Amino acid sequence: MTTAEFGTHNWGMVVDVDKCIGCNACVIACQAENNIPINTQDRVERARSISWIRVERYWEGDFPDAKARFIPIMCQHCENAPCEPVCPVYATYHNSEGLNVQVYNRCVGTRYCANGCPYIVRFFNYWEPVWPESLRNHLNPDVTVRSRGIMEKCSFCVHRIRRESRNARSAGVEIADGAVQTACSSACPTSALNFGNFNDPDSKVSKMKDDKRHYTLLDQFGTDPNVIYLAKIDADKKISAGEAATHG
Amino acid sequence: MLVPVLALGGLGVFAVMGVVGAFVITGWLGQPIPVLGFEQTFDQPIDFPHTVHASLKQLDHVAADGQTMEGLGLDCTFCHRTVTTQANAGVPPVAFCATCHGVIGAEDNAELTILRDAADIIGDDGPSPVNWRRVHRLPDHVRFVHEPHIRYLTANPSEVKNSTDGVTEGPSGVCSTCHGNVAAMQQVEQVESLKMGQCVDCHRDNGAPTDCAACHY
Ligand code: HEC
Ligand code: HEC
Ligand code: HEC
Ligand code: HEC
Ligand code: HEC
Repeated sequence: MTTAEFGTHNWGMVVDVDKCIGCNACVIACQAENNIPINTQDRVERARSISWIRVERYWEGDFPDAKARFIPIMCQHCENAPCEPVCPVYATYHNSEGLNVQVYNRCVGTRYCANGCPYIVRFFNYWEPVWPESLRNHLNPDVTVRSRGIMEKCSFCVHRIRRESRNARSAGVEIADGAVQTACSSACPTSALNFGNFNDPDSKVSKMKDDKRHYTLLDQFGTDPNVIYLAKIDADKKISAGEAATHG
Repeated sequence: MLVPVLALGGLGVFAVMGVVGAFVITGWLGQPIPVLGFEQTFDQPIDFPHTVHASLKQLDHVAADGQTMEGLGLDCTFCHRTVTTQANAGVPPVAFCATCHGVIGAEDNAELTILRDAADIIGDDGPSPVNWRRVHRLPDHVRFVHEPHIRYLTANPSEVKNSTDGVTEGPSGVCSTCHGNVAAMQQVEQVESLKMGQCVDCHRDNGAPTDCAACHY
């Protein structure tokens, strides 16, 4: 095992908020890829819907000068994750590839992790997932269907990472930059979502993350996320890098 | 009078507890003792003998010409075609069996009649798949992929365990590590426990990932 060895990558995402048009393609792609149960009206009303990635919308200014602002939010895969130490059974932990892993079969459903997470990206399965008969064969065989009582969240499409790393090892090469794409990043029409390896200084995401617009969400908590955001550029306003850190 | 009844009752309770205990402990360590539907082998829709097809040894099998025969010694990968490239090994479609059994084997053989009917060589109800029952099956929360294992074991024959009556060269020689001597099985049965301990032990010894996210996602 010389190439594409386990633990030599640090997977992460760079989200260029300036490019996000709020189309929600990422949300749908994620829903389909990861066997996420359908969020019925009933579930949404009870605030028990599951959505590993969501696009938050803000209005800036008053009508008619209002501007819509969008920001996609998924698990930030924090290096210093508040969800990890609170798990009594070590069902969630940080692995050597920079992922915050959720081991479903280890999870006993205490929900401490969701309470610890400041980004609200962890979701609890309050019900056994059900799909209409017509969708039964649409489930992704590479992703476990989570049963009732299990916590789940964005996995950075770990099944795609594992698949590409196996393919690379089988071919005896390194994983090429851009070979691993998460469902959301491959669905994004404007390339607002970019996925890659931060350990490789030449990768697309490594080059993007040093942009002077960069900031991380809820920086003040010191969670050290693996998801880096690039601030919105506003033609009317001039923002400096320092200011970008405080704006969304 | 009361004493022998109580003694017998007590013995009975112990016997039941012993059986239940043995069931739980064997199930914990490997496979539970084969009772109550926990058998590691099933009757398949067609009684397919791996011996005849995969073994290289002289068999008891009486062929259509009335003679006992040697196994055909087919490569495992001849039928389980995707085992070297994909997660699943795959079981061949009936049309594949029919390439031989359209002509090979006695015409009145009951098992081959089911096969020929399914392949639409006889009968007129069109081709239909054979619903083979899975023998080896990991729980849904585990991802097992054949490809890296076959690649690694083919390159490192010293890690191969158990012997096989079938082809020993190439990928077909390594299956015995996890499936036992399938070439000698009239009916496939699971012989290795294939529990997490077995997977992780080998991964640790061979520098393969032991991170939970390698197998659970
Ligand atoms: C390479 C050619 C070949 C292929 C492919 C093949 N077989 Fe056979 N099979 C044979 C031969 C040869 C025999 C022994 C014939 C005899 O008994 O006269 C045999 C025997 C059998 C028998 C036992 C018949 C008996 O006498 O009891 C069964 C059942 C059978 N095959 C099923 C299958 C199935 C199912 C497949 C597809 C997965 C298959 N075979 C694929 C060559 C083949
Ligand atoms: C002639 C085609 C053929 C050849 C050659 C062959 N197999 Fe099979 N194999 C089958 C068929 C058909 C089944 C499904 C029926 C069954 O389970 O008995 C099967 C089932 C199996 C299973 C059980 C799958 C499950 O459900 O868990 C294993 C394991 C297996 N084969 C391993 C091997 C190995 C190892 C070899 C080489 C020594 C081999 N096979 C050679 C056709 C073949
Ligand atoms: C490292 C252990 C290991 C080795 C080596 C191995 N297998 Fe398997 N095999 C398994 C496990 C575990 C399963 C059950 C997979 C599951 O349930 O997801 C399985 C399932 C199967 C199945 C039935 C399901 C399927 O994938 O279609 C067949 C057929 C099979 N193996 C054939 C083979 C053959 C042929 C070889 C040799 C080329 C081989 N296996 C080598 C562990 C192994
Ligand atoms: C005979 C030793 C052996 C056994 C038994 C074994 N493995 Fe492996 N496994 C390996 C090796 C070696 C590799 C790494 C191969 C390589 O170089 O790519 C591997 C790789 C893997 C991978 C791919 C990891 C990745 O990078 O994505 C998975 C998944 C896996 N094994 C699961 C299992 C499971 C589940 C079991 C138990 C049913 C199991 N293995 C049993 C030796 C074994
Ligand atoms: C090499 C592959 C592999 C790795 C690595 C691995 N597991 Fe497993 N795990 C398995 C297999 C295979 C099973 C299913 C065993 C069985 O059939 O009972 C399993 C079962 C389990 C179960 C039992 C679930 C149940 O319902 O009985 C738990 C809990 C578990 N694993 C947790 C973990 C944790 C935590 C880690 C990381 C420290 C881990 N596993 C790493 C292969 C693996």
